[in-house]
Amino acid sequence: VNWLALGLLGGVVGLDATSFPQMMLSRPIVSATLTGLLFGRPAAGLLLGALLEVFALLILPFGAARYPESGTSAAAAASAYAATTDLVNNHQALLLAVVFALAWEQIAGASVIFTRRINERLVRGREGSEPLAADQVSQRHLLAIGIDFVRGAWAVLIGSMLGRMLLRITDPMFGLNDEVSARLLALAGAVMLASLLPLFGGLRARWLPLLTGLVCGSLILFLA
Amino acid sequence: MTVPRSALVGSFLRSFAIQGSWNYRTLIGCGFAFAMLPVLRTLYAARPEEYQAAVQRHTAIFNSHPYLSPMAIGAVAVLEATEPPAVVERFKSAVRGSLGTLGDRLIWAGFRPVCLLLALLAVVLGASWAVVVGGFLVLYNVGHIGTRVWALRYGIRHGRRLGEKLRGAPVERLQFVLQSSGVFLIGVLLPLVLAGRPLTGRMTPLWFAAGALLSLLAMRLGGAARMPTVLALTAVVLAGLVLGALS
Repeated sequence: VNWLALGLLGGVVGLDATSFPQMMLSRPIVSATLTGLLFGRPAAGLLLGALLEVFALLILPFGAARYPESGTSAAAAASAYAATTDLVNNHQALLLAVVFALAWEQIAGASVIFTRRINERLVRGREGSEPLAADQVSQRHLLAIGIDFVRGAWAVLIGSMLGRMLLRITDPMFGLNDEVSARLLALAGAVMLASLLPLFGGLRARWLPLLTGLVCGSLILFLA
Repeated sequence: MTVPRSALVGSFLRSFAIQGSWNYRTLIGCGFAFAMLPVLRTLYAARPEEYQAAVQRHTAIFNSHPYLSPMAIGAVAVLEATEPPAVVERFKSAVRGSLGTLGDRLIWAGFRPVCLLLALLAVVLGASWAVVVGGFLVLYNVGHIGTRVWALRYGIRHGRRLGEKLRGAPVERLQFVLQSSGVFLIGVLLPLVLAGRPLTGRMTPLWFAAGALLSLLAMRLGGAARMPTVLALTAVVLAGLVLGALS
């Protein structure tokens, strides 16, 4: 494993979520695929990223909301999944990786809150201190960006090591078979997709586009 | 006095990092001052004390959706060149709520999920990773960067009248289009995912029916469905581990 490359990718993903430049490299579907690419298995990363994306769609960074960080946790889980499983279609390991990512995103989210507290000190100093001078504004702002990069890198590196260890231990002793694991993931994915409806106005207000979509989806299903 | 184009371009580029020092006390206050530096440096080139004072004023609490922050930067640049500091302060207080809410509604809860649902549909239909990720990043960032450029121009053009102009913007109509597209995509995706795509082609009618019922429930619960789903999935995994250890 190229740990340096993984750390750099983690830093970029961590930065992209809030600090710079918010081009959505931090979306699970992107970060997991790019991590999979580092391990030569982008398709496996994409599948894991897509599953984690349906969970992340409901997280909205409104105002000062505190939320789990899905981008770095998806990268950590993708690294663990790509490095420990021999078959791309190992759905048991995929289910374990999804659950690991959903737990790790809470810890990564806590690290975001921690760095935001550090930023408070950086930009305002201690109570009663002088406001920042012009040259200090740039220095402190860039330092905060640097800290966020390091945070993202560590969130992915530590998550990756921990995820690998857990997958190695749990995958061989997992009692659900491959097919049940795949069905569980599909079911959870459908539930998460459906729960997005209120975000778009709810069932009563948007029943027509929903119905049209359901008809189109069913047609694709039967024709394909 | 007018603001040179090069200073505006500098501030626009810095707006990509406006949330770099985000914190719970001043939100993007320091980031806004950081983004305004090229403009302020030009406007107050011969007045160092006023320059320091202007930078310090801009580090105060401010909030905006990051993609709409160039709108505030453009308008504030115009105001800094023509109006006294008190007017600039009042203007910033007046627009910070609107710029945050507008972006949250149209981008975070509209454009972004629609682009992601399109990417998910591509995954379900079997597109390659390069098409999915490349297509998503291109589509999304055309909208993202286009919004930023438009926002800067809009802010420069309307200056002090920005708040009034924003109140008359066709937000509801845009939101309707985005929401309808999002719901349509959810509708397309649901039967495909319930049928097991792209994980398995062998969903039994019982699993399909259970998924459909739970999806109906989730449509009512909305965001509140996330944590129970995560916990249920975790519980099933733990049960699977116990089952495996016992057998």
